[in-house]
Amino acid sequence: MNWEYIASIVNSTLRMTTPILLAALGSAICSKVGVFNIALEAQMLIATFFSIVVNYFTRNVYLSVLAGIFSGALIGYIVAVLQVKYRAADMVIGTSMNLLVSGATSFLLYLIFGLRGKLVDSSLVSLPKINLPLIRDIPFLGRMLENLTIIDYLAYVIAILMFIYLYKTVSGFRTLSVGINKEASESLGTKALRIQMSVVTLSGALCGLGGVVLSMGQVTMFTENMTSGRGFIAMAAASLGVSHPLLTIVSSLFFGLCQSIGSALQNVIKSQLTMTLPYIATILALMLSGWRSLKSKNGRSI
Amino acid sequence: MSQKLSNRRITSGLHSAWNTMRQPLIATILGLLVGAVVILACGKNPLSVYAEMFDKSFLKSYYLFSTLTRATPIILCAMATAIAWRAGYINIGVEGQMIIGAFAATVSALFIPGSPILIAIISFIIGMVAGALYALLPAVLTWKFRVSMVICTLMLDYVASYITSYFVTYPLKDVSGDGLALQTAQLDPGMWLPRLTPKNTLHFGFIIAILVVVFMVFITKKTVFGYESKMSGFNPSFARYGGTKQVKVMMITMALSGAIASLAGTVEIFGLKYRYADSMFTSTSYAWTGLMAALIANLNPVGMFFVSIFLAGLQIGGSAIQRSLGIPLEISTIIQCCITLFVSVKLVFNFIKKRKAKSTAAEKGGEKA
Repeated sequence: MNWEYIASIVNSTLRMTTPILLAALGSAICSKVGVFNIALEAQMLIATFFSIVVNYFTRNVYLSVLAGIFSGALIGYIVAVLQVKYRAADMVIGTSMNLLVSGATSFLLYLIFGLRGKLVDSSLVSLPKINLPLIRDIPFLGRMLENLTIIDYLAYVIAILMFIYLYKTVSGFRTLSVGINKEASESLGTKALRIQMSVVTLSGALCGLGGVVLSMGQVTMFTENMTSGRGFIAMAAASLGVSHPLLTIVSSLFFGLCQSIGSALQNVIKSQLTMTLPYIATILALMLSGWRSLKSKNGRSI
Repeated sequence: MSQKLSNRRITSGLHSAWNTMRQPLIATILGLLVGAVVILACGKNPLSVYAEMFDKSFLKSYYLFSTLTRATPIILCAMATAIAWRAGYINIGVEGQMIIGAFAATVSALFIPGSPILIAIISFIIGMVAGALYALLPAVLTWKFRVSMVICTLMLDYVASYITSYFVTYPLKDVSGDGLALQTAQLDPGMWLPRLTPKNTLHFGFIIAILVVVFMVFITKKTVFGYESKMSGFNPSFARYGGTKQVKVMMITMALSGAIASLAGTVEIFGLKYRYADSMFTSTSYAWTGLMAALIANLNPVGMFFVSIFLAGLQIGGSAIQRSLGIPLEISTIIQCCITLFVSVKLVFNFIKKRKAKSTAAEKGGEKA
């Protein structure tokens, strides 16, 4: 075990964390306004697809990122309309949106490109990698932060901004009040419905950004169902971080670490077994947080 | 007199049947309309595409039997989903329970020595126990640690799929053939479920599926457990006041759900594929189709039976038109999800209607309402 190795694990942890963190922030802000959004997977997957489609046709990084964010937000908006405005059951909307997007992306992949499974092309442009000029030359730190994209840094900025907005501004307090007691906050003149809908749409945009990192960060490609449960891991990260933006950073880093250890161990243990690590870790983490809250509340059966 | 009474009973029966059928039917029509728009966007004529799909899923006998064969695991998955959902336990881990159960059954059938029929029966039971245990795990975690059952069951899907993938890639891989396919060895032909017709793929598993539907109708309508689990789904605190033992209901419900899920996979292996192959249940997404069927039929067992067959037909027809017309088979997924979305929105309209009715009643009745 040398420093170089640790630095590379930190580096891959940071990369693996970004999509989870962005989606987890989306999940957290939804729970803050009392909406249980489980269409995160759909919001991410659609972005991985459309960012690559726009990338393929325009070769423009910025347009691709925007396409990802907007397609994610669009799905978020649809969820908001059905689930918040028309009060359809969250599980039904979530599962059918997840399946719908998974089917629709495969459908479009075949229709537009005549391909099955994945879209890889050497001319696809990836997100620009940032190597900070001075830090690059510091041995350990340089390796740790090597080849990260701007979104990898942006995710933490967004988390901090979300914290400041929710806990330090009046409008943020209004937003929180919707989740605490919708009727009471409405009686004080808060437009609860509108706030809930815009928050769910925003969560779509955040997941969209997470999807973009997935398809244009470490690799530049689209594969069918490439989010593979990250939306749900993000939900776990948000609930482990009690939907607090800053705690969610910590819990997302934990899941990022599990994923990176999983891939680092591939040479020692068969990859099929290491792949289960993030999922098992999710369950263990939920148990831990459940156990903690049980201890603090004590009582109140199921 | 009695003639009149039975007439009235029939009309009221028809009326309630129409009431339960109305929503899914309207949603189906709307879903097919969305599908038609998508087909138009592909530059094809929706009517002729639908006609071809219908022809190659229900009308021609060969395709009808394929549809029923495909419907078999879907029906069972729908039942597995419904039994948990109606008690308020959102088990979306049917896929994982199906994988673990069917895999356990296959391994037992391959390695336990003895007379084939006896071993087949033992394997079915071992599979069901394995599926039930795999469903009890999230139930226990929900009970002891109050984890979210949604996330927990879904995570276990991935775990099940990767672990079985490991086994068929390394220790249990069939090396008798070219060794390229990731699958176990074939089961002894003496254990295979009999075919219902000599020329088609439809097997005895379909009968098992029908029996499970009957079982579901029986326990939901006729048993105390069915009542208790429904109450716990309706309103957990009310059920507790009524003396329902929540934990017991949860454990039995989840164990049954896992056992039925395991049957779905086991009949597919013993009736059709005769071996466990990597990702055989994830790529076909039986469990998710079953979930959709359960949602569309609003957890009604008989309704789910027919909706499952309809969705299976949609998929068989979808793969037929992919071959002949070049429209991707995911068209069936799109239609299926749209139907589910429309069903849920429809329920909302009813909910609003009811609320309006309630509020007018409240105005009239004063405190009483």
